[in-house]
Order: sequence, then structure tokens, then C-alpha cells
Amino acid sequence: MALLEVHNINTFYGNIHALRGVSIEVEEGEIVTLIGGNGAGKSTTLNTISGITPAREGQIIFEGQDITETRPHEIVEKGITQAPEGRRVFARLTVRENLDMGAYTRRDRDGIKESLDAVYEIFPRLKERESQPGGTLSGGEQQMLAIGRALMAQPRLLLLDEPSMGLAPILVQEIFATIERLNETGTTILLVEQNAQVALSICNRGYVLQTGEIVLSGTGGELLANKMVRDAYLGAS
Amino acid sequence: MKEHIRNGVSAGLTFGVVTIFFSLIGFTSTATELMGGFIGNTSTARASSPGAIFNLVFLLTLVYLWNGSMAAKPTEEDTQQKAMQSGLVAGTVTGLLVAIYAFTVGSINAAGIDMRDYLTSMSSDAIELFLLGLSPVVGAVVQLVWITAVGAGAGWLAFKLRDKPLRKAIGRLWERIKERFSQVPLIQKINKSKYGNFIWYGVILLVLVLIPLPLSDYWNYTLGTIGIYVLLGLGLNIVVGMAGLLDLGYVAFFAIGAYTVALLTAPTPHNLLWNFWIALICGVILAALAGILLGVPVLRMRGDYLAIVTLGFGEIIRILSKSDALTGFSGGPRGVRDIAGPSILGMPFNSPRAFVWLIILGCLLVIFVTSRLQNSRVGRAWVAMREDETVAQAVGINTWQYKLMAFAIGAAFAGLGGVLFASRNMFTGPEDHNLMVSINVLSLVIVGGMGSIPGVITGSLVLKGLPELLRQLETYRMLAFGALLVAMMIIRPEGLWPSKRRRLEMHEEEEEPPTEHLANPSGGDAA
Ligand SMILES: Nc1ncnc2c1ncn2[C@@H]1O[C@H](COP(=O)(O)OP(=O)(O)OP(=O)(O)O)[C@@H](O)[C@H]1O
Ligand SMILES: [Mg+2]
Repeated sequence: MALLEVHNINTFYGNIHALRGVSIEVEEGEIVTLIGGNGAGKSTTLNTISGITPAREGQIIFEGQDITETRPHEIVEKGITQAPEGRRVFARLTVRENLDMGAYTRRDRDGIKESLDAVYEIFPRLKERESQPGGTLSGGEQQMLAIGRALMAQPRLLLLDEPSMGLAPILVQEIFATIERLNETGTTILLVEQNAQVALSICNRGYVLQTGEIVLSGTGGELLANKMVRDAYLGAS
Repeated sequence: MKEHIRNGVSAGLTFGVVTIFFSLIGFTSTATELMGGFIGNTSTARASSPGAIFNLVFLLTLVYLWNGSMAAKPTEEDTQQKAMQSGLVAGTVTGLLVAIYAFTVGSINAAGIDMRDYLTSMSSDAIELFLLGLSPVVGAVVQLVWITAVGAGAGWLAFKLRDKPLRKAIGRLWERIKERFSQVPLIQKINKSKYGNFIWYGVILLVLVLIPLPLSDYWNYTLGTIGIYVLLGLGLNIVVGMAGLLDLGYVAFFAIGAYTVALLTAPTPHNLLWNFWIALICGVILAALAGILLGVPVLRMRGDYLAIVTLGFGEIIRILSKSDALTGFSGGPRGVRDIAGPSILGMPFNSPRAFVWLIILGCLLVIFVTSRLQNSRVGRAWVAMREDETVAQAVGINTWQYKLMAFAIGAAFAGLGGVLFASRNMFTGPEDHNLMVSINVLSLVIVGGMGSIPGVITGSLVLKGLPELLRQLETYRMLAFGALLVAMMIIRPEGLWPSKRRRLEMHEEEEEPPTEHLANPSGGDAA
């Protein structure tokens, strides 16, 4: 049984049918990527898993439990957290307060302290900026903060929505290296990316989403070699 | 057009129009009278007495100084000459507008036409006063010269004062005073003692208990009203300032508190005659329940929708209380009278002074609860929700629960306010609970500083206390409200006494960059 099983979900925004029967699986310990063009429904997929935009039909199973109708805060408690798209940090809270917020569902003081140290070790930049308001960080730092905040809940499954968006190439490298490192230390990752080249090269498996439907899936290598993927997402040369 | 000239013209136009508007509605005369009342240099015999003219010139000069300094805001290449030019242009524009206006109304008045037929405030006296007792032509010319000169002067002054913000100077003075005080031996001893905090709380409490003693019933009544608005403000502050839910129907909970105590203790319409204290508890609980009841359907709403729905809710409660169909139940349009007051051990405890004590007690309780909440998990959840609701959900905050909690607690405070208000007045009716109450409370929260407890207290002292001091201004209170709100939004967008967090955000560009705080935590005056 996979860690996360998404069966045939349909999600709507009012009348807009954003997801049309999406099914994906994430095994324990994997990095799985979801690629697709703008408006394909990638963020919606993550938000549906997080319970923020619940599915109207279909089923989501996490660790054997049905979480389709579970409220977002309970899903966090069950071990899924998300670093949402667009570096959404709490702008007026300091870096430290942002990270503390990430541990909102936890009560184990010592464990929280350990997680905090771990996050600071991964992103030393955040420690330097500990008492600075989140809104005054640079774009890349905000992205680090958003990821760090998601890690503070000690997730079993981490959902990352376009972590490389708008970052300088060198930072993109850094972020992806971090993602791989996180994965090696035992966090399972579902990664949404526009940057298909890098994402597919670090993932175990990937899915291609198009207007709310999965049109292709396979290992990272297979997808990188696929003609359609090359034409549509890799700027074929 | 050059930037500094453009600044001058736009400030000049604004202030010209505002001055004329104030004159048309008779505000200039009223303000003059008011000042005369304070310093006692006017007689009632003649409106345009030298004293009155002096007062008018004084007040308008302040306005025109403001005009010039607004115009002379820093431009890219900031020079004294440019600042003066801005001020001069602003003064000329305002001066021309005002002079033309003064000449026109002066001539009409001189021709013997009574303008009061069209504008109730434009009496012959008022016009004469506005012309400084001079003939239309001379008056207009004097106005032009005077306003232009003041504008240029203000531009120069603004440039000179530019690098010495008043706020910093006041801040430094305050620090100095604090330092002096902390050197007094007795204060030092108290501060060092283990019970230092308790002693200070005790002193504050003692002062609060003593305040109502020397005051007349009238002032105690006013103080009570201010206190009730502090209660309301603190409640709304939780909903709007802390949780970020814009509730425009807040008065509904005030009404529920008031009607609960009314219907349970008054002889008509139900003759239940319950004990006040029990009715008080019922009122608070019912208001909190109503808060939850309103909260459930609006859980998924955000921003403007929430504002509109809550606005409707407030009106529904008022209209229900007023409706003929419910007259038998709620007293209808005539309201409910002879509401019981509190008694302690069988002794009535319902003089205005006693009520002030009771209200202060309520405020202290509410302040205690609020400050505890602010620094708790609940408070943090509210902050996160206000910042970004989606992310708050994503970090595992149960947004529904905390929204309902904010509504319930805010409503409970309002309910308490309503109980005390109705019981003190021994009467309540639909008109006690109109939209203006919601707007007043929201205004005082904004003026005081959203999310700040001392801010709410300051706000209600200013917005409920000042009008009492300036009784004559009563008819212009709404105007003053508006002007104050607009001026505040420009000058101090974070409120009179903001919470630390908001001050940080609103004045980011003025503070040193935060990185420097890190490098130099003592924040010394290196520069
Ligand atoms: N709150 C919303 N209300 C209405 N429609 C929405 C909303 N959010 C997303 N949509 C629509 O749902 C579809 C999928 O959006 P989604 O944000 O999931 O795309 P995406 O794949 O993440 O795109 P991008 O790469 O640009 O972030 C789009 O057509 C979008 O317009
Ligand atoms: Mg997206």
C-alpha cells in the first residue's frame, strides 16, 4: 500500500471543473513530481490533498485512512504539510514566529526545538534573519521560510508547490539540492514544478497534468525521454 | 508642470475648497465661538467683534499653515527655494478661491439679500465675520495677501523642520521623563521588590476607584459611556483587530445584551423581575451564543461579503426589536422602561457613580481576558488567520473554530456593554441600537489603533470623551469624526496608540533596516 493514494478526484471552483478524475500514488520515501502548464490544476491537486479545496468526488487515502473529507488542520496533524505556491509567508511575523507557527499542531516542546535547529541547519540564512519580519526577506529567503515552516510540523509527506519559482539559477540549484537532502533524511515529497528538467531529474516518478487530467506518468527518466514532454515542457531543442 | 508646483496647486485647491465648504456650513463661525468660549475674548453683542476676528484669523492661519506645509512635501531635489515656491503656490491658489468666494458672498450680503433662505448657516453676521468686518473688496484682497503669505511661510517652515520630526522629539522627551521617574528612590524600591507589579496594579486600581468620587453625576455618566465604549471597542478589537473579520453588525450583540436585561428585569412587557446579576450573566451568554449563530453561516466568507452580511444582521436585530408584530414581546418602537439596576446585599447600587465602578470593573475583566488571549495559542492563531487564511489552514490552524471563538468572545463583551448600558439608563429601545453604534465602535478601534488595548481606550476617550468636552461641537461631531479619521489615516495610519506589530509594519521605511537591529541589538544612536 502506498503512503498516499489519490483515486479519481474531481474538484470544482463553483462551476469550474478544475480536476477531472486525477489519480496519483506516492510511495513511502519517494520524490514524486507533478508537472504541467499554467492552469493545469497542479496547485489544485495539492490543495485538494491538503483539504483546502475538498474534492467533490473521488477518494484520498493517506496511510490507509480515508482523508477525503478531513479538515485541513486535521490533515496537518496526520502528517501532510504544504509549502504553498508563491512564497506565502506571514509577512508581519518574524522568521522565528513563522517557524513557530509551522509547529502549531505540535505540543512537544523539546521536539519543536529539535525541528527548529534542524531547519536552521538546512537554511542557515533563516537563523541569521531570525527576528526580521517575514515580509522583508528576499524572494529566495521567503521560499526557504515557507519550506522551513512546512518542515516544522515534521511531516511524513511534504507537498511543495513550485519551490523554484522566480529564483535565480544558483538558488534553484540550492533548493533542489535541499529537497534531495530532505528526502534522504526520510521525508516523502510530492513536488509541483514548472522547471520540468530539474524536477524530473531528481524524482523517482512523475505525472503530467493537462487541463485537470493526468495524461502521462512514468519514472523521471522515462518522462525526460518522452517526446511529448520534451516538446511541451522542456523547450525542445 | 514641475512636481513642486503641482504639489502646491493640488494642496491649494483642496484647502481652498475645504475652507469654503466649512464657511458655507457655518463651521468657521462655530469654531470661532468655541475658541471664544474657551479664552473668553468674545462678546455675544456683535458677531464680528475684534475678539472673534482674532480667533477666526488664528484658526484659519493654522489651517493655511497646514496647507503650505502639505504642499511643501519633499521632492526629488529638495531645496528651500522649491519648498517656499510650493507653499507660495498653494497659498495663492487657496487665497484666490477664498477671496473670490468672500467677495461674492460679501457682495450678495451687502445687496441686502438674506442667504439664509438657501443656506441656513449663512447669516449676515457670519459673512461679515468671514470678511473680517471689512468691505467685500478690501476683505477679499486682505484674504488673498494673508493666505498667500502664510502659505509661503509654511513652506519655508516645513523645509526647516523637515529633518527634525516632531514625533521623534516627543519620543525622546518621554524617554527622558521615564528615566527621571525611575530614579526616584521610592519608585526604584517598588520596581526592585518582588511584588513590584502587584503594587503598581494596586496603585492603578486605587486611582480608578477614586476617579469617580469627585465627579458630578453628569461627568460620571459621561465617564460611564466612555467605559461602555471601551468594552465594545475591546470586543470588536478581537473580531476585527486580532482575527481580521470585518464585522459591521456588531451593535446586534450590544442590543441582545440590552434587551436581555430589559426583558428579564422590567415590569413590562413580561413582569419577570429577575435579579440584575442573573440577567447580566444571561445577557452575556445569549450574546455569545448569537455570535456563534452569526458566525456559522459566514465561516467561509471573506472580506467585503462578511462586512455586508454582518451589516444586515445588525439591522435585522434592530428592525425586529422595533416591529409591531413583536411589540408584545420586546416592547416595540417605544422600548422597555424601568429596567432593574444592580444591588449588593439588598442595597441598591445604581447611582451614576456606582455604575462607573461597575463599568470599570467590567473593563478590567475584559482587558485581563483580552491580554491573556493575545499571548496565547488562540491569539497566535488569530494573527495567522488575519495575515493569510489559506496559509493558516496549511499550518494546521482550525480556522472555523477560531473564527467562531472570535465572534463569541467579541459578542460576549458587547453583550456585557449592552447590559450595563440598558440597566444604567433604566431604558432601552430600538434607536439605542442603530448602525451608528457599530460605526462609532469601529471608528474608535481604527482611530485608537487596531489590535491594541491601550489604543481602544485612547480611541474611546477621544471619540466619546472629546465631543462631551466640546458640547457646542455636537452638531459637527460627524464632520469632526470624518475629518479626524481622514487626517489620521494620512498622518498616523497605524492609529493613535498602535500595537507594536502594526507600528512595525506601517512605518517600515522610517525605521532603521531590521538587519541593523540584528547587528546592533542595543539600537544605539551610532548615527
Ligand atoms: N480560487 C479559484 N477560483 C476559481 N478558479 C480557480 C481558483 N483557483 C484556481 N482556479 C482555476 O482552476 C484551474 C487550475 O488552477 P491551478 O491553480 O490548480 O493551476 P496550476 O496548475 O497550479 O497553474 P500554475 O502553474 O499557473 O500555478 C485554473 O483554470 C484556474 O483558473
Ligand atoms: Mg499553481
